[in-house]
Amino acid sequence: MIEVKDLTKRYGSYTAVNAISFDAKPGQVTGFLGPNGAGKTTTMRMLTGFLPPTSGHAMVAGKDAFDESMEVRKAVGYLPENVPLYRDMTALGYLMYMAEIRGVPNRKARALETLERVRLIERANSKIRTLSKGMRQRVGLAQALIHDPQVLILDEPTIGLDPIQVLELRDLVRDLGKKHTVLFSTHILSEAEQVCDKVVIINRGNIVAQGAPAELRTTLERGGRIVLRTNASADKVLPVVQNLPAVAQAAQSLDTIVILPKESHTDPRPAVARAIVENGWELIELRPLAVNLEEIFLELTRQAESASAEPVAETSEASS
Amino acid sequence: MRQTIAVYKRELALLFRSPIAYAVAFALLLFLGVLYSGQLSQIVQYNQFAGQQGAQPVGASELNLTTGVLVFLLFLVGPLLTMRLLAEESREGTIETLMTLPMNEGHFIVGKFLAVWTFYTIVLVITLVYHVIGHQVGVPDDGAAFGQYVGAWLYGGAVLAVCMIWSAVTEDQIVAAFLSAATVLVLYLAESAATSLSNAPGLSGLSNFVRELGLQAHYNGTLANGIIRAEDIAYFILVIVGALFITVRIVETRRWRG
Repeated sequence: MIEVKDLTKRYGSYTAVNAISFDAKPGQVTGFLGPNGAGKTTTMRMLTGFLPPTSGHAMVAGKDAFDESMEVRKAVGYLPENVPLYRDMTALGYLMYMAEIRGVPNRKARALETLERVRLIERANSKIRTLSKGMRQRVGLAQALIHDPQVLILDEPTIGLDPIQVLELRDLVRDLGKKHTVLFSTHILSEAEQVCDKVVIINRGNIVAQGAPAELRTTLERGGRIVLRTNASADKVLPVVQNLPAVAQAAQSLDTIVILPKESHTDPRPAVARAIVENGWELIELRPLAVNLEEIFLELTRQAESASAEPVAETSEASS
Repeated sequence: MRQTIAVYKRELALLFRSPIAYAVAFALLLFLGVLYSGQLSQIVQYNQFAGQQGAQPVGASELNLTTGVLVFLLFLVGPLLTMRLLAEESREGTIETLMTLPMNEGHFIVGKFLAVWTFYTIVLVITLVYHVIGHQVGVPDDGAAFGQYVGAWLYGGAVLAVCMIWSAVTEDQIVAAFLSAATVLVLYLAESAATSLSNAPGLSGLSNFVRELGLQAHYNGTLANGIIRAEDIAYFILVIVGALFITVRIVETRRWRG
């Protein structure tokens, strides 16, 4: 269980995290989504007690993450972003070391069991420096799981893995989410959609949206832009569409027309469809522009920062 | 306690697998060995000569290993053994894992310090072999040797603790080693500085103060001659505790530096 209320982190005059509030429930995977530098790592570091918040509170497993840091640390498994490991130890040795510090009983059995769980048992006695990036990631994950924590905080666990490893890791995270409270950060939006029960979208230190991926999509589709494709030329269609009461604005984009609905109005799609058909044209496509989280994300950043024109540019690289 | 022991065991095991620790131990033991064998052959020659001339042979304590050289060399040994301890954790980012485990900074810093001090103690114990050799040749002064070794042991602890401060300050091991070596040299040379100060009129108070701050004032002439004074023991323990306290505080400030 994670409850975050008005959590803020400032470095001098720079606000890395700005009064964010969200929660993550047990038995769920909560995705923490945002472009690079959005404040995901800073937030996670505050949750694990590594960094003190400037203001606000974070309750992790029922304890304050900073005031009762030791209690929180016992209940949390944390995989930092760059997966720091002792390269000169073996995977098993490293896990046993972590288990010893954490006071886990039957260290060796537990370490082997955890290695089994992350499917690394055959490399138990290899030095960590000889392991591949994906295997190291799994050692890091095993380290976070060694004490069977209530809360798991994973900072970009799939970064730098090959596609098959990514799939394996997503399965593992989903599986872990059944029992633990999992907070999982990523800048890959489709990943959050696949893995998470709930998504918190953060950009430049602010929460832009949160909810179930499907829920988010519905909210966004309402009031979001709509793409229209017909067999007639845009010059003819555009004035017709623009005159519909539900439509605030329409513009041509390549061979399609993008419609921005009026916010107060109901879904303009039925009206648009009717208008096209009544004019004797053929309706080829009529859909919300945001069909997956990637587009939702672009849409959100556009809405949040419609004043400044560029926020979309930095996310294109993130959505690979 | 459990955490400290876990960290201690790992660090000690690491020292025994680390080439640098072996290199340091090897160099130190080789150097002291050459020095001591030179010392012995000189004594033997002199005593032969003295016997022929009917003069006094050299005193028993002359057969002891000159630990003054050993503690001087700590300005190299200390930094080399400690530079890795915290600087590497910062550079590799493993400090983030350590600081989110259920243990506080004191736990792992004390664990690391005790590990490196244990390593030094083992090297020191190996040098006792020279004392055994001394017994084969003549009759060394056991009492003085006891004082010398207790002193060298505490002296080493103090140097290692002071060096750890720099390992906590910087991520760069080389920088940590250089700054540590400089600090230890300054503490070593405090006595010479005090001597030159005492020549200036009206500065005898300051001169005494500087002398007492330095490491040599509490070793040379007291422990090194087998004189065990409570104030010297207290001085070394205070330096160890103080330096570890500063190290803990420096590591703690990472949280606030971000």
